[in-house]
Parts: sequence; C-alpha cells; structure tokens
Amino acid sequence: MNNSSDSSEDKGVVIQVKNTQKETVNDFLKKAMEQGVFDAVLISMKVPAGDSFAYVLLTDKELLKDTFPLPPIMSVQGAKAISSITRRGKGNKKIAAIMRPCEIRATVELTKLGQIDLDNIVLISMDCFGVMPTPSFIKDPEKSLKKFEDAIRIEDDTVMRPVCRICDKSSMVAGDLHIGTRGVQKDAFFIVSNTKKGKDILDKLGLISNKNIDTWLAKVKENAKEKQKKRKQAHKDLQSSIKNLDKFLDTFSHCINCHNCMRACPICCCRVCYFDSDKMKHPSDDYLRIAKSKGSIRFLPDTTIFHIGRMVHMSLSCVSCGSCEDACPMSIPVAQLFSMTADETQGLFDYIAGKSLEEPLPLTTFIKEELSEVEDVHD
Amino acid sequence: MTKVLTINQSVEMGIREFLKFLLDKSKVKGVFTLKKLNKGGDVAYSLITRSDELKDTVPFFPLMPINAGKLLSRFTMNGATSEPVAVVLKPCELRAFIELVKLEQGFLENIMFISATCGGVYPLNMVHDGTIDKNLSQYWTAIKKEEIPPNLRPACKACTEFIPYNTDMTINLVGNKTLDSQCEIFIESKKGEELAKDKDIKKKYSEKESKKKNLDNFRGKREAEKKKIFDEITPKLTGMDGLINIFGKCIGCHGCSKVCPICYCKLCEFESSDSEYGPSHYESELRRRGAVRVPPNTLYYHLGRLSHIAISCVGCGSCEDVCPVDIPLSIIFKKIGESVQHMFEYIPGKSITEKIPLTTFKEKELTEIEK
Amino acid sequence: MKKDDDFMPKILTFLCNWCSYAGADLAGTSRLKYPTSIIPIRVMCSSRVDPLFILKGYLNGADGVLLTGCHPGDCHYQSGNYHTRRRFAVLKKIFENLGLEHERLRLSWISASEGQKYAKITTEFTQKIKELGKNSTGTEIFL
Repeated sequence: MNNSSDSSEDKGVVIQVKNTQKETVNDFLKKAMEQGVFDAVLISMKVPAGDSFAYVLLTDKELLKDTFPLPPIMSVQGAKAISSITRRGKGNKKIAAIMRPCEIRATVELTKLGQIDLDNIVLISMDCFGVMPTPSFIKDPEKSLKKFEDAIRIEDDTVMRPVCRICDKSSMVAGDLHIGTRGVQKDAFFIVSNTKKGKDILDKLGLISNKNIDTWLAKVKENAKEKQKKRKQAHKDLQSSIKNLDKFLDTFSHCINCHNCMRACPICCCRVCYFDSDKMKHPSDDYLRIAKSKGSIRFLPDTTIFHIGRMVHMSLSCVSCGSCEDACPMSIPVAQLFSMTADETQGLFDYIAGKSLEEPLPLTTFIKEELSEVEDVHD
Repeated sequence: MTKVLTINQSVEMGIREFLKFLLDKSKVKGVFTLKKLNKGGDVAYSLITRSDELKDTVPFFPLMPINAGKLLSRFTMNGATSEPVAVVLKPCELRAFIELVKLEQGFLENIMFISATCGGVYPLNMVHDGTIDKNLSQYWTAIKKEEIPPNLRPACKACTEFIPYNTDMTINLVGNKTLDSQCEIFIESKKGEELAKDKDIKKKYSEKESKKKNLDNFRGKREAEKKKIFDEITPKLTGMDGLINIFGKCIGCHGCSKVCPICYCKLCEFESSDSEYGPSHYESELRRRGAVRVPPNTLYYHLGRLSHIAISCVGCGSCEDVCPVDIPLSIIFKKIGESVQHMFEYIPGKSITEKIPLTTFKEKELTEIEK
Repeated sequence: MKKDDDFMPKILTFLCNWCSYAGADLAGTSRLKYPTSIIPIRVMCSSRVDPLFILKGYLNGADGVLLTGCHPGDCHYQSGNYHTRRRFAVLKKIFENLGLEHERLRLSWISASEGQKYAKITTEFTQKIKELGKNSTGTEIFL
C-alpha cells in the first residue's frame, strides 16, 4: 500500500477474456456491482433504433450485457455525461464511468473547471483505437460497425477520424483504473490502477496487481511514438495550408455560425457563451457603419472572432477529442485546427490537458520568472 | 395587373444592376444579399454598402447558409436602421422575419424587401462535398420548365409557400422562360410604388403593367411531392417507440434550435439549469427505470421545441441542414407545424397584422376540447 | 383482469388557484369521494401551465395529466383560460400527430362551487386512464 502511484503502474492485473473482450469487461463491471464496489455504471449503449450509441447511467445489472464499452463513434463526449450527472453535486451513488482516454482527460479538465465532482466517480479508461466520424457512421450504421470492428482487429486507423489517426494519447492513464488491451495476448487484458482509489477497488475485488505489464507499456510507447511523428507532420501540413490570413479565413468560410462545435465541446461549459450573448448583438446602425468602412461585410461578421476567441478560451484544456468536428454540419476541420493550436499553447506551459488533477490550469496560476520572451517584442 | 420594371438583362445581371443603381443613387444605403466569398464558391449573406462589391453577389443562389430572417432579426433587434436597406431573400426567410417582428425580435422599418418565387435550395452539405456545381446547371433548366429540381432539400421539395408575402418587389423565377434575357421586377407594395415613381428610376427603367404568372401547376407538383414526403414519415410517427427510434441518435448539440429562426430565446429552457438533473433526480430516475440516458431529456427537448414553435414554423429546413446525424427534423416540424397552424387557419409570416394564434383567442372556439 | 383493478394511475393535476383549487377543496370539505390517483399542483392560473409542464409530466411517467381552470369568461385574470385552451389544443394536436396517447391529456373547467364536478371528472378520468393502462414512458431509458 505504500507504493507511490508511479510504481503501481509497473504491475497490473491480468484478466482472462471469455468469449469477447466486450463481454469480459461487462462481466468485470457486473461483478463489481454485485460486490457493491459500484452502485451504478456510466457506459455506452446502442440506442433502440441501433443506429447510434448513447451514454447510459445504469443500476440494473441485467442491462450490462447490452453495453458497448468502446463504441465506434463518440456521439456525446463522456465528460459531458459525467458533468451532467455531477454538476449539481455528487449524490450518494458510487459510479463507475467507462470511457476513452480523451473523455477521461476532458473529465479531469472539467473537474478543475468546477463542472464535475469526482468524489463518487471511478474513472475507468480503456486503450482506444479511435472512433469513426459520426456523420459517416450513421449513413449506414450496420456496415460501419462491421468496418469498425474489422479495423480494430487489424489495428487499421484509416477509417477513423483524422484527429484519432494522430492521437498520441490513446492509452494515457488519467483516471483511476485503466484497461490495457494493447500488446497482450488475444485472450487477456490488463487492468492497471493509477490512483489510490483505483487500487482500493482492485483490492476490494480481490485482484492483485502483481503481473508484469511490460508488453503493454512497450506497445503503448511504440504507438505513442509513431503517432507523435504523424501528429507533428499533420500539424505541420495544416500549418502551412493556413499560413496567410486569406487561407486561414478560407478555412472557416463554410462556417454558418451555428456554434455546434462549441456546444459539442466538452470544455466549453459556459451556460451562455460570450459569442451568443448580448455583447455580440449590436445596433443596426453599427453594423451599417462597419459595412460602410469596408464596403461589404459578411453577416454575421462574427465567424473569425468566434473561432479564434474559442481557441483563446479553451485551447489550454483542449483534449483533441474531435467532438467539434463531428458536430460541424459544414465539415470544417475544426478539431484538427484546435488540436494543432492546443499543442502549441499547452506546450508554452509544459501542460498536457487532463493528464493530472493536481496540476493547476495554466491560466489560473503563474510563475513570477517566466515568459519574459513575450515582453516588449517589437519585431 | 401589377406594375413591372423591366431590365433587358438576365435576371442575375439585372437584379445586380438594379441593386447597384439603388446604392449609387442613394435610394438605399445598404444591400443585404447572398454573396460569393471566395473562389471556393462559398456563399454567405453580406451587408454591402459600396456598389463595386455587388459584382460578387448571387441574390438567388439556391442555398440557404442561415435563414436570413434570423439574420435580419440580429440586424434590427436593437432598433430599426436609420437608413434604408434593400434586402434580397427567399419567401420562407421573409416569413420567418415577419414572425420574428411579431415576436418583437426585429423591425421592418427602413427595409426594402425584394424576393422571388422560389424554386427551392440545396442541402448545405453539397457545399463541402463539392456536388453543388454539378447540380447548379440543371437547377435553372428545371426552374424554367416549372419542375422541381432533383436533390433539393426535402423541406423545399415539400414547400407550397414559394410565392413571397409582404415583399416590396418580386421577381418571378419559377416557370420564367426568359430568365437569361430579361429581368422583370414586379412592384408589390406602396413602398415599392413610391420608389418606382422616383424620377431616376422612371428615367432608367421602362415600366409596364403585366400579369403575374399563374403557378398553380407548379403548386400541384409541390403538393404531390409534399404528400409523398409526409406519407413516408407518417408511419414512423407511431408514438413513443417511433419517436425514440427517430430521435435516439440525437447528440444533443441543439444546433437545430440555434439555427431555427423562430427559436429566439436568449437562454433556451433546455440549456437552463431548470432542465438539469440534480443528484437526487438522477437517483429517483434510476430507481424507476433502472437506467437513464445521459445527458437526459432528448425527447423532452425535441417535443418541447415542437410545442413551443410549431405554430410559427415556416418550414425553412435549416434545422435539418445543420443536424450532424441527419434526423428528418424539417419534415416532422413541417408536418406537425402545418397541422396546428391549420387549426387556426394561420400561415406564419403571411400577414404582419394577424396575431400569432397563441397570443390571442376567440371566446367561442375549441369548445370540443373540454370533454 | 385482477391486475388492472389493482392499478391506481398517477394523474398529474394542475388546479387554478381561484376556481378549480377551491372546487377541489369543496369536494373535500363536502366529503365527496374521489380517487387517490390525483397528484394536485396549485397554480395561480391555468395559463401559467406551459405546455412543457404537461409534456414533462407525461415523459416522466404520469399516467394522465389533467389541466383545470375557471370556466371561460370567469378567469380571475380576464382571459388566462382562453389562452390555456389554445395552448392545450395545440399540444393535443401535436400528440395526436406524433401518435402519442393524447387521451392521457385532459382539460376541464371547474368552478369554485363545482365540488361535485371535480369529483365526477377525476373519477371519470381515472377510470379512463385505468382502461388505457400504465404509461410506458415511466420505464423507458432512451427518452
């Protein structure tokens, strides 16, 4: 018990897979519920029409057999679901939330932003192989699901969303427990604990973290390295494609100001967005005056300020989950642009959004001796 | 018989030239219309004050990036403009704006409305998948022949209110065989007539009296198409199960309400803290159901929105255009909307003086409802 | 059919402060018998009831929703109940068109002196809801 959280990652629990991985995960949860370790589980489920997936909070154990721990799409970002449950307080139920690493990371960020109370929540992440773009998935759900399952089997990410293809944090452990499926035999997976809370749960379940997890760690490292390279390249390509202002504006020229990206974003948690507020509603003569100064203005003229403004507000917490891009009716590569910006802004503070609960949000703290290079820059 | 100004140029050139004339002669100080933004072919509503900027305008481009009624509400919600502005928009957009004015979300003063008989518009996703250019060529051929162009949005295919109400000037597009050679502007209002009396206009444009084209034939085609589309959705509207099947895939982005011209609330009920579940609420739901979808209220949101806006729904189809998961919102809202509007023989946006049915009443009516 | 007899529906009932609530009160003080299915909510005027309240009740598993107010012409606020009537008619129409069970919604005018009518209507409506059975929305997960 006196192990630090770092060293506890070196060992893990091995769970034998019966039938399918999905069923085994569900069995694990069921067992934990039966033993009273969790009262409820927050997990993805197919909707009745079978054409999409949704988060469901359940206490009825029988429903676990229909759940989908890693669905092929991210219809709702998991952090939003946890926020919905705990924004008004934590309640009495101990809830296990099974999600992708980026959803857990967004949860960590939202916790720091005061939108989530984690006291009664156990965060369980799983190795993620990416998700498909929601708009294309729902065109033919059955076929898409098969395609997704095939792609996972052979670890082919070409059917996944662009941000998933360059995700280097798809095995990042930020929650309490993590289910590792990379680098293991097909008939088993690892469970590793990351926090004391996670360790206690494994103890309660009588699971002892004594198995070597080097194969998982090695595979995770290899994957991250490969993806990091891809990510750098993708960001570089994107950067060169929007180098001048005209090109940048062109990227957003499809935008119809529906603000779907903002509302799908887990980090954008303001009740009334600044860009939807009265601050952005001007008297008609002001619009006319601005138009006169330029000859012509796009109406509404808020597109660029909205996107850059949103970057300013949330990029330090952006987890590159891709929800914004999924929700964009005009297929603007919002997530790719935001993930690029996020890497840059988070890099300023060596911050990785959602990595740790303890690390404060960079804009809520400061170091006296820092960033002197941005002062008095004239060139 | 209606007064008509004739410009001997194609409709597209003609209207551009007319707008240019209005700006240059200071008849209006601004023009609000669709404009090409870049070479990529993106089209957006723009407020134009300098006449050379008009060359990129495409007033009747078959696309509705956002319902212009909503934009005009944003433009005038804090007061009417002090200078006249000409606005070119589609019939449903104008109807939406009239509804918004009745809901005290905008002002009509100082706006000169120019609209056209509308052949319908394409879905927004054609812009980014690049198929719009291919479709554009057949669009105008079909319109000239009074046909419904293929691949239009379902809301447009099923629209029977394609003749604008409350305009100052109308241009006849549907069934107009001389689109490429002549631009006829029908004068529809007092405001329009006053403008037509102006000596600059009299000098420049020839005026005649003409009859508007009878579009009953086209209306018949639209009615038939509407029936077909409604008949397709009706078997799916079978109570709770049907609705869960339709709306189950909703991702809760609320994009439909954000682009809906009629949904004007600053803070939507469904985004307010009233619609959030506290921990005890979740627990009681779990006790009863054994499980609950998170975030909750998917159906409550859609049905609630229906109950709030059905009476004013103009069937513009913007909701469906922005839905990332292709829920057939526009047809459901149009169908339900028409059924409740029909109860009061109300056509949203048809008249500025007619009150929205839910804001008024008759003492002797609907007595059968209490039973 | 024993089961049906056991089923006591939950009927969400909105009572306007000035007429219907007093009517319900009179039913009580007159010791009239009416079913225990009624869950009363007092509102200042029937027009205070946003269609959303009815919808929310319905989606949360209320087996019936009863909306009551003053008789037309008697509204304490002059015209509140006329607005109520239009809104209710619209909501009912929406229910009909979506294939939802609009029979579970009812509007009735009950004055302060109509304790009898209150007892009669609640009894009738409860009976009707019993025939319709339980509202399935109470156990749906994916609402």
